[in-house]
Amino acid sequence: MQPIHLENVKKNYQLDKVQVSALKGINLTIEAGEFTVIAGPSGSGKTTILNLIGCVDTASEGKVVVGGKETGGLTEKQLTDLRLHTIGFIFQSFNLIPVLNVFDNVEFPLLLQNKLSPQDRRDRVAKFIDRVGLTQYAHHRPSELSGGQRQRVAIARALVTKPQIVLADEPTANLDSVTGQTIIDLMKEINAAENTTFLFSTHDHSIMNQARRIVRLQDGRIQDKA
Amino acid sequence: MNVYFLIAYRNILQRRVRSLMLAAAIVAVSVIFSLLLALLQGVQDTMVGNGTALMTGHVNIAGFYKISQSSANPQVTKYPPLLEYAKEKIPEAAVIVDRVKAYGKVISEVDSTMIPMWGVNMDQEANVLGRLELEASAESNSPGDLKKLGESGTIALFAVHAKKLKVGVGDMVTVSVPTYRNMNNTKDVKVVAILKDVGMMSQFNAYLNANDVRALYQSKPDSTGQIMIYLKKLADVPAVEARIRKDLSDKGYVLMDKDANPFWMKFDRVAGESWTGQKLDITTWEDETSFLKWVVSLLSVLTFILTIVLSIIIVMGLINALWMSVKERTTEIGTLRAIGMQKSKVLWMFMLESLILSISSTAAGLILVGIMSQALNAAAIPIESDAFKMFLMTNNLSFHFGVAPALTTFFSLVTFFTLGSLIPAFQAAKLSPIVAINQS
Repeated sequence: MQPIHLENVKKNYQLDKVQVSALKGINLTIEAGEFTVIAGPSGSGKTTILNLIGCVDTASEGKVVVGGKETGGLTEKQLTDLRLHTIGFIFQSFNLIPVLNVFDNVEFPLLLQNKLSPQDRRDRVAKFIDRVGLTQYAHHRPSELSGGQRQRVAIARALVTKPQIVLADEPTANLDSVTGQTIIDLMKEINAAENTTFLFSTHDHSIMNQARRIVRLQDGRIQDKA
Repeated sequence: MNVYFLIAYRNILQRRVRSLMLAAAIVAVSVIFSLLLALLQGVQDTMVGNGTALMTGHVNIAGFYKISQSSANPQVTKYPPLLEYAKEKIPEAAVIVDRVKAYGKVISEVDSTMIPMWGVNMDQEANVLGRLELEASAESNSPGDLKKLGESGTIALFAVHAKKLKVGVGDMVTVSVPTYRNMNNTKDVKVVAILKDVGMMSQFNAYLNANDVRALYQSKPDSTGQIMIYLKKLADVPAVEARIRKDLSDKGYVLMDKDANPFWMKFDRVAGESWTGQKLDITTWEDETSFLKWVVSLLSVLTFILTIVLSIIIVMGLINALWMSVKERTTEIGTLRAIGMQKSKVLWMFMLESLILSISSTAAGLILVGIMSQALNAAAIPIESDAFKMFLMTNNLSFHFGVAPALTTFFSLVTFFTLGSLIPAFQAAKLSPIVAINQS
């Protein structure tokens, strides 16, 4: 099954009295286990595509299929459930819950899913915290961690539910180049080991070079799907 | 620990100053509301205590005897069988007394006053009238001895009347009562005790020897004013009242329709009715003190208005604080929504903050009031103003803080504050994840 499929997708925004077309007919299919980068300059539509695939926004026209479900016909509640069970998010600014420690932050999506027993849940959280190399920081709050460590927590939180898709919006933008590279290496390693589909946006060329597939966007249109 | 509780609790701690200010305000409202309720309960309890000592049993077998269509004598004739019935058939009773009713003028050398009076038999009154406190008057250093009411030719007055009549213990006054045949009979009696005032009720009571009252009205020894039945438990009043009504009706007595007023408010009605002879009137302490209900009602309304005004102010503060919290945590809410938190959970998360604050602060306020009530009652703060003494029916401020007012305060305030928090909580839940995340 193709986890992501976009067919003639358009997205328009209304800015005062002016209509702005952010996406102008996007056709894109991403296969399971792909490690794909969406690249392009600012305003090219990278974040809009991620928002549509992430089910936090809806298309003005066209078909968006995520995890086998067409998102256009889903209710708000169903979209939320789809996000919870199918997608993991990694944000540019990490977006951790500041009052929870590392363990609680990673555990949170599992608590929302409420599928595992408490012991299984704790084991799963411990495993993913270990996977991102933060076991000794499990009881630290985000404010006590460096930027790179925080993004590792975000990666563990995104992966702990074993989602089909991980979406990352410029995950290295707020990190120095060495830390950014470590984060990309970690994501590639998990992609290879778990066969999770990774889709992330960036305009950092050094990171683009490491992707298996690059989708280049320009003015809301796909230029190249190499 | 539940993660929602953890988030709410830690967010409260994180915004320490704001949370402390809100908590202090909630504690203050809780204290004010509870203290007013405790004062209200104190007044109610005092009213029951004084009312039942002064003028009514918990349940009364009273009535009117009419020798002509236009007369209305608050009298029960041939009462001994009724007294026997009460003693034998009401096991819930703790004390049973009978008193003769009178209404007339008490005249001293300098003044006179009209007072409803009671003819009492002191052999029965140790636990009833005996509960009242005595006080020395300006005219005499001695407060007297209530037991001397057992002797013929005696009277016990409340301080308010003694002051007006300028009499003290040992002084003579004349009691003049209009009889049922529109004549005035008089008797000179000696003041044997001055009773300490108990607010408004003092205005409506004075005590004579029962046989003196019968003599004044030329009544037979087997007539009385009412049989007053004091129960072990106040909760039994409705059942006992209903049983007495049924039993006496079955025995052939004619009963008056239920009228929740004191006997002296029924004169006109009874005098206007066409029947003659004896009718019994079964009343309760609530009926006989109903003319004082407005005091409790007024206090209740004042308490309610004050609490509502204060609560609205606090709710506005709470809404504002939560609103600021929503603004500060917009990105966090967006993130939570993006990773799969339903709107209802966001709503719950914010309401939980308000619940934690209001539950803990209201509980702290209630504990504080419990301690304050004990301290204030121990201090027995005297009420200086005569007007307040009359209004509150007591000489000292008395706070009765029980489980019922505590629960009322707790649940009403927590509910009110939680409902107030719904507005910002709904705002938070309505936030679109994309808008919220884009603010980061």
